[in-house]
Amino acid sequence: MNESELDYEGGDLQKEDPLLRVEDLRKTFGGVVAADDATFAVERGSITGLIGPNGAGKSTLFNLISGFYEPDGGAVYLGDEEITGMRPDQIAQKGLIRTFQTPRKLEGMTVRESLLVAPAGQRGESLLPLWTSPSSVTAQEDELLDRAEDLLSFFEIDHLATEPSPELSGGQLKLVELARAMMTDPDVLLLDEPVAGVNPVLEEKLAEHIRRLNEEQGVTVLLIEHDMEFIMDLADPIVVLDQGRVLVEGTPEAVRTDDRVVDAYLGGVAE
Amino acid sequence: MTDGQSFLQSPIGATRGWWDDLETEERNTIVGLAVFGGLLLAATAVGILNPTYLLYLLTLAGMFTLMTLGLNVQWGYTGLVNFSVIAFWGIGAYSAAMVTAERSPLGWELHPVWGVVVAVVASALLATLIAVPTLRLRADYLAIATLGFAEIVRMVINNERAYTNGSAGIPGIPSVAEWVESPDLVSFLTIALLVAVVYLVLRRAQLSPWGRVQRTIRADEDLAQALGKNTFRFKLQSFVLGSVIMALAGVAYVHLITPLITPTGLEPIRTFYVWIGIILGGSGSNRGAVVGGLTIVAIRQAPSFIRNQLLNVPAIAPYVSEINVGALRLFLVGVLVILIVRYRSSGLLPPKREHIWSKTLEDRS
Repeated sequence: MNESELDYEGGDLQKEDPLLRVEDLRKTFGGVVAADDATFAVERGSITGLIGPNGAGKSTLFNLISGFYEPDGGAVYLGDEEITGMRPDQIAQKGLIRTFQTPRKLEGMTVRESLLVAPAGQRGESLLPLWTSPSSVTAQEDELLDRAEDLLSFFEIDHLATEPSPELSGGQLKLVELARAMMTDPDVLLLDEPVAGVNPVLEEKLAEHIRRLNEEQGVTVLLIEHDMEFIMDLADPIVVLDQGRVLVEGTPEAVRTDDRVVDAYLGGVAE
Repeated sequence: MTDGQSFLQSPIGATRGWWDDLETEERNTIVGLAVFGGLLLAATAVGILNPTYLLYLLTLAGMFTLMTLGLNVQWGYTGLVNFSVIAFWGIGAYSAAMVTAERSPLGWELHPVWGVVVAVVASALLATLIAVPTLRLRADYLAIATLGFAEIVRMVINNERAYTNGSAGIPGIPSVAEWVESPDLVSFLTIALLVAVVYLVLRRAQLSPWGRVQRTIRADEDLAQALGKNTFRFKLQSFVLGSVIMALAGVAYVHLITPLITPTGLEPIRTFYVWIGIILGGSGSNRGAVVGGLTIVAIRQAPSFIRNQLLNVPAIAPYVSEINVGALRLFLVGVLVILIVRYRSSGLLPPKREHIWSKTLEDRS
């Protein structure tokens, strides 16, 4: 019925154990179709890359999955549960945590505080327990401080613990952001350009950290990145998005040599 | 000998250590407040300032401090723009007046405790009513809605004569003066206690995970949501909490300061005095809010007081009598705002750089 289905080839749901499934996800802004029945799945325990030329709809897809945009059609499943249309905070509490392309600086908070805030549903997030059970509140905060310290040393930024967040460099912010996301003990991490604007040395380090989080902690990762070398090296499989549709999905080698991908990047000569 | 010396020295040493630990802003503010307080006491001692008037000023400062503390929760913690500060103050003042005053059109004459209860419930309900539809929108809508809400409250009070007596206001509100020997001192002590309790409660809240979520919302609401925080719930709590404190300031006004409330007390300009108070003190800082509250009263009262004093000097009295105090007040406010923005854009006592409850940190060592 839909013309686009004819040339639709990428994005299969035939995974052994998909943790995140996106089915026929659709979103239009005015006349622009930002997500055009996008379909793909992320295997549990994988690092899946999401690439595509500018305007392909990668960030829109992230916003749809994480609940910041409401889709016009289609569905998102986390495990067996449909999360379409849930609020961002509800989705986050289910274990899907996203980062942002340009992290804003947390005015008035130190680095360790910006980590402390991350876990949802802390006792001290309600006002009454502050006076009715003060020791349980401080005990939990104390535990989280330990956890924050561990994560800061894992990311080798423990020396920044009491620095005001606004004074960090771009690269440090990216590390803090990853550490903060890990504070929530996520099942799936959606990373939106984790190495944009980061120097090559730190880029290497970030790749290593993401790999370790995946291998040691079993975190499933879906990441957007423009740096081809970085993403081809880190992610497998890779999903290629073009004009809101999944164009191809495959191993880095397969994607690299696929004519359709080359065409998409060279400027829409697919027709 | 040595024991005696250490006994003598330790408190001084402790004080010195405390002083050395302070930041420059803190020292300057303490010195400033001490000088100002000293001047007030000296003026009282030589008879220029009537002790009753001094206590009245301090009580008034306590009331404004409650309002700045309330606004600091909304704007300083969470970043919510509330332009109906004086409306919530008025809701508190009128709630108390309507249910307790002998000459209230309702004629209930309840005990003032009920005035407090009604004020808290009414302000919490109305704050929720205005917040629920607007907090889901972007920040500017809340600002516009509160600006409109403040006018609605004033108009309703002005026109619903059957409940509020309209522009004549409600006189004869039971005052602390009716029960005690020295009402000024009791008023001051009562409000000082109230400010202290509110301050401690808000400080604990600020240093908690709750406060941390509020700061995250202020800096980046999307991030707070992405971390699983129901930001609507947090913003609603902040807005209602701040508004209830403003209403308490209104209750304190009618029972402790002036047993009469009229709609002219709800002039929108007073909202902006409170805003100037927290901008001057330092948004997000409770100590700053207290300094801001004191400063508001100083700005509002000093011009007329000084003018009256100068009128006693025959040589300059004719010139002084030409001065329009209302205009001078606004002029001073303008100059002050320019000076703050130019030299101290984060306020006299900006918030500390880290907010973790000290008990939590102590547990670790």
